[in-house]
Amino acid sequence: MVELVSNPDARTLDALVAENGARLDKPRFKPSSLLLLFPAAALLIGLFIYPVGYSVYLGFTNLQLIGPNAIHFRFTGLQNVYFLLSDQVFYRSIWLTLVFVVGSGAVGTTILGLVIALALQSALTSVRMVVSSLAIVAWTLPPAAIAIIWYAATTQGGVFPVMFGYPHADALYDHAMLVVSLANTWSLAGLAAIIFSAALRNVPQEMLEAAKLEDANAYQRLTRLTLPILKPTILTSALLMTLLSFGNFTLIYLMTKGGPSGDSNILPVYSYLQGFTFKKLGYAALLGDVIVLMSGALGIAYVWLAQARRSGRSPKSFSV
Amino acid sequence: MSITALQYPMPQLPSTEPIRAKRWSPTKVISNATLLVIGAFFLLPMLWLFAASVDSSASWQLKIPDFTTRNYFLALQPDYTRALVNSLILSLIATIVATVAAFMAAYSFSRQHIPWKGPILLAILFLSGVPISILIVPIYKMFSYVGWLSIFPTAVLLGVTALPFEIYLIKNAVDAIPLDLEEAAHIEKASTWKILSRIVIPLTLPGIASAAIFGFVNAWGNFLIPLVLISRAAEQPGPVRMYGFMNSVAINYGAVAAFSILYSLPVVILYLLMSRSFRAGFVLGGAVR
Repeated sequence: MVELVSNPDARTLDALVAENGARLDKPRFKPSSLLLLFPAAALLIGLFIYPVGYSVYLGFTNLQLIGPNAIHFRFTGLQNVYFLLSDQVFYRSIWLTLVFVVGSGAVGTTILGLVIALALQSALTSVRMVVSSLAIVAWTLPPAAIAIIWYAATTQGGVFPVMFGYPHADALYDHAMLVVSLANTWSLAGLAAIIFSAALRNVPQEMLEAAKLEDANAYQRLTRLTLPILKPTILTSALLMTLLSFGNFTLIYLMTKGGPSGDSNILPVYSYLQGFTFKKLGYAALLGDVIVLMSGALGIAYVWLAQARRSGRSPKSFSV
Repeated sequence: MSITALQYPMPQLPSTEPIRAKRWSPTKVISNATLLVIGAFFLLPMLWLFAASVDSSASWQLKIPDFTTRNYFLALQPDYTRALVNSLILSLIATIVATVAAFMAAYSFSRQHIPWKGPILLAILFLSGVPISILIVPIYKMFSYVGWLSIFPTAVLLGVTALPFEIYLIKNAVDAIPLDLEEAAHIEKASTWKILSRIVIPLTLPGIASAAIFGFVNAWGNFLIPLVLISRAAEQPGPVRMYGFMNSVAINYGAVAAFSILYSLPVVILYLLMSRSFRAGFVLGGAVR
């Protein structure tokens, strides 16, 4: 936790310091720290913080990729915002983004990862080895490879349509959002399973054994003991998966390009299309700003949830 | 043991049941069945990749392959290996830039007195959660203005996108080293450089390695940033080349699959080799002290 409250004692100490020079009983700021911090600070400010700020400015300009407004662009005030508010594609895109990052990312991936981690606990060694390596390999695959795998699996004649008895159906075309959501869950569940496996190892065995001696069945042990203990991890995982899903839009771009007819057009894809297909860089930057606001709002919501759940106990440390 | 003795008061009849646990409890059956279903969900899409990569008549369908290795020869033509080499250059530069800068900053944050340390660390934490897609438009505008639309600046940018999280991973690793070791070395008049190279770096190596792998994989997998920021086709990395494959008129499915495998292999091997240290480094709690 960050303490921002300054008490009066400290202020008088500060006054003493001003009179007598630096105090020797406290760690002081060394100039060598600047040297160590400089590379990271320069990189982060130059290539991360400044561009984010610049993007906020660009969101209020009429910048275009090519044409007369490519170089001589100007500030156009709220014109882009008015366009945004009357853009039906944008509203649909917000809904699709929520389905993707919260539905398939936070909820889907967390549940699948939790189920895998719980089942791994009482699995045969051979099954455990095979399934955990499959899940981890799926997580390690680069997004472009995952896009190709899932394209092949769900297009006409692919594995899943054939398996469910509709060999001529193009699942990717008919249910684009469902398919890309499944692909996202598929690609992130391995990480969630790793996180939950680590957390399950920290569940005190004595409590579980005590519950067993009290004749609690497996379902009771799960819902009354394991899940409540895992609650902070569940929220951490939900937050992490939301953020990773925002980054996973490469999958959608490669598999469907946001189509067909905007069915899987989540905000990051829509922003890219506006900027580099429809050449409206200014509007694309504004959409990017909306993405950051949205992920910030979701992040605050999870942290708030975590704090609310933990309010009974004293928070040990601020964890993500 | 006393419990079992109570349950079986007649020792002359040895129990057929094992003492520890029943071999097939309902929990165990349900767990294994669930895992098999989930395993199939993971395996089925992957199967196509392997089958098609050795199939001379591959299509999007999953079938028994007509065995051939020709697809791999096609995927190893100079044009395509060039893309893989570009991916390697891009990822290595990104990894080195990010890991060196992150280690220096993380050491400073962990060991030195820095004003507003808490708020700065929170800001870095916030940065690691900012969706990268917001950077594409402003960075494109900046790079095109100074004529940097090429592989090297793009690699540095990819490093920066991994930097906030790498600072966290390495800071956690440095925090875990007892301060006594450095103090002892300090008393023995070891220079700062010696303390770093002989004590801190060797002890934090698992953390640094996991951060470096994170940086490498982050750069290796990125598709949209190189696509937008690298103007010359000859400098484009693997995934952009793969995108070209998928969008060509006559797709050679077998070659696409073979190239995806070749492209994915380094990352998967890296992870599996380092999975132990990576999992050890993946501690998200206690990030801000």
